[in-house]
Amino acid sequence: MYGGGNVFEATKFDNLQTEDPAKLAEFEARIARGEKIEPNDWMPELYRKQLIRMIEQHAHSEIIGALPEGTWITRAPGFRRKMAQMAKVQDEVGHAQLLYSAAETLGKTREQMLTDLINGKSKYSNVFNYPAFTWADSNIISWLIDAGAIVNQMANAKGSYGPYSRALERICAEEAFHLKYGHDAVVHMATGTPKQREMIQAALNRWWPPIMTFFGPSDKMSTHTETLMRWKVKMASNDECRQQFLDMYVPKIWELGLTVPDPKLKKNMETGQWEYTEPDWDEFKRVINGDGPCNAERLAVRRTAEERGAWVRRALLNPKAKYVKPLA
Amino acid sequence: MNELAIKDLLYKLADDQLILGHRNSEWTGFGPILEEDIAFSSMAQDKIGHSLAFYTLLQELGEADPDTVAFTRNANQFHNSQLVELPNGEYDFSLIRHFLYDNAEIIRFEMLSQSSYEPIAKVATKLKGEVKYHVLHANTWIKNLGTSTEEAILRLQASLNEAIPYALGMFEPSQYEQELIEAGVYAGEEAVKVEWLKRIQAVIEKTDLKLPDLNTIEPKFGGRHGEHTEHLQPLLDEMAEVFKIDPTAEW
Amino acid sequence: MKVIYLQQLLTQLKLLTNITMLKSLDPRVTRLNLPEGEMPPAEPKQELDQFETYEAFHQKKEGTAHTYVGPVHAPNEDVAFLFAKEQYSRRFPCVGLWIVRTENIMVTPYAGDQENVYDLMRLEEPAERSEQPEPYEIFHLKKRGKAHTHTGRVMATSYQEALHEARTQFGEKGPIVNVWVVKSKHVLQSAEEDKDMWTTIPEKKYREAIAYKVMDKITKYKEENKTTA
Repeated sequence: MYGGGNVFEATKFDNLQTEDPAKLAEFEARIARGEKIEPNDWMPELYRKQLIRMIEQHAHSEIIGALPEGTWITRAPGFRRKMAQMAKVQDEVGHAQLLYSAAETLGKTREQMLTDLINGKSKYSNVFNYPAFTWADSNIISWLIDAGAIVNQMANAKGSYGPYSRALERICAEEAFHLKYGHDAVVHMATGTPKQREMIQAALNRWWPPIMTFFGPSDKMSTHTETLMRWKVKMASNDECRQQFLDMYVPKIWELGLTVPDPKLKKNMETGQWEYTEPDWDEFKRVINGDGPCNAERLAVRRTAEERGAWVRRALLNPKAKYVKPLA
Repeated sequence: MNELAIKDLLYKLADDQLILGHRNSEWTGFGPILEEDIAFSSMAQDKIGHSLAFYTLLQELGEADPDTVAFTRNANQFHNSQLVELPNGEYDFSLIRHFLYDNAEIIRFEMLSQSSYEPIAKVATKLKGEVKYHVLHANTWIKNLGTSTEEAILRLQASLNEAIPYALGMFEPSQYEQELIEAGVYAGEEAVKVEWLKRIQAVIEKTDLKLPDLNTIEPKFGGRHGEHTEHLQPLLDEMAEVFKIDPTAEW
Repeated sequence: MKVIYLQQLLTQLKLLTNITMLKSLDPRVTRLNLPEGEMPPAEPKQELDQFETYEAFHQKKEGTAHTYVGPVHAPNEDVAFLFAKEQYSRRFPCVGLWIVRTENIMVTPYAGDQENVYDLMRLEEPAERSEQPEPYEIFHLKKRGKAHTHTGRVMATSYQEALHEARTQFGEKGPIVNVWVVKSKHVLQSAEEDKDMWTTIPEKKYREAIAYKVMDKITKYKEENKTTA
């Protein structure tokens, strides 16, 4: 479950002039032909760094993303929901495992990535810093956050890095269940008792503003972004993703008679674009930088899981074993 | 066949699986290794699935539907052993419980797949393969950690000592014991226990752990007829929190 | 000797010092007994949990080739099997699983999508040979971004000879981007009698999209609200 957003900042590796021109040309030609890059290929430092950063943030978003919905794992009502909620949260942990593995092929160890997460050195998707107050919040997350993630991930699956594409293919297949499950739960609430309907509308009201920030602010076009698009690291602009999401899901929300808490939200029939109230990007920045309702708890929980599990890892560590990064 | 005896058996199977599945699901997202987090969650899901299969058999015998049975009874109406309701503690305790419990569960499934009572035999035959993985998982972990660091061995040993009286409580005989044995439903709790002891000893012998002298231990009985620790009711309240907002609603 | 659990310790600490504990919306988190507010910075940790990696290959159906699914971190191959089974075969049909330690896989260079890597390689003299030929498993990658698939088994006395044999036996047809060579003895294969661990997977519909159908409810809702509106 990941929407991008805060990823494509410039790094000090931006300077391509230090790269070998012949190798760079070969690398770019391969991507232009539509071939994937595999871990052992030569690649520019900028490509490697940006991918590590992006895949790592994606992985963190999965492992932290397991927590808001995990809030309701012991309280899911009825067998059908109980088992599905467990499987859904489990999948998020599974996705983290797949993505950390993909990032590892680029040369950063999983251990280092987890350490950076716990120490607040690397980011994850901002929406997971918001709380899931009721069971209905968990349903909205399952449906709409996963829907947003699928928009983003389907685009990224077409990117140029082989291991990331492979992981995303598997992830998208699993997310199809999340989306349907989330929709199913929301429909049951929206067409259920007055109490259920009230719960789901309240949850939608709480989650709509974070959802609108899920894809990040409008991209600033720069040569940097152009390079990353040419290299098929960045596959779609944040606004394109947001528009696609609104196109696909606002009608599905409206057909349930639910209200989207944005009076400006409408599709402009002339431009074909959705118009909406500009999200509060100041709040977005504040929350990303640590000052959200659940940042401290999310990291504390992740850290506690690591610390209390350390004895297990310590016990089984084979001192003679040599770490080799995964192959693909 | 006495239907009450069959129902009693089904309730204890189903309640054990439900409560332990629920407890184990608490680990999802908090596990010590990402891959283990995933494996433990799968097994928790399997257990909830098994309980659903047994509650469904109960429904066919005239009991209420599985959701009502699972989400609206009080602790004193539950037939699970006390072992499964205890809080998770740290991972050592959860692993030891998993080991003690699933080594008994696989024996029940093996016996029940040969049962004269066909509906149970069918379910047990179908689901046996899942429990087989659970046992493989438990035994592999105990063998690995039980021969590792002093820290891990001490932890596991302490958890084993703590869990063993409750584990013996799993084999509390029911009032229908003789009937079930004579009708060929399964070989009964004493037989399960004898076989269980053989199997857990075989694993423990390969480790630095010591099985406490079972003759000196008083089994924690009571769970099978509704006597539970103080931990079960809060678990049930939590599990049913949303369901009880409106038990007639479709969630 | 007695082990004092961190949790008990924290609870005692809480009683003694009156530290407020984190009350979360998630009852599981509340039970972790975490102190309220910021935690102190994490201790820099030693490299303590970097397990080896193992690569997993699954078999979807009887008679089909094993295909690469991804890596797991594990302390040994038995645990790697436990992990891979749930990470890579909990969702889709599966009848078998192979596990290989990453270190034991010999990898050729990568060719382009239209090329055959066997044509681009000059096979070096092996550094070591076994006295007797032994079996090796060969995996081909047909297209970049796809997964390596088991192509067959050859007998050889070294990785190089195995690759040479693989070229003769399977290397003629079409583009082959990359080859993995593994000694058969390094492959942990799930046992024939363990197949029943996977038999119920197709029945676990609750984790498949297909189990969730709500069109009827939506249609009904729309109709009811049309008439009342």
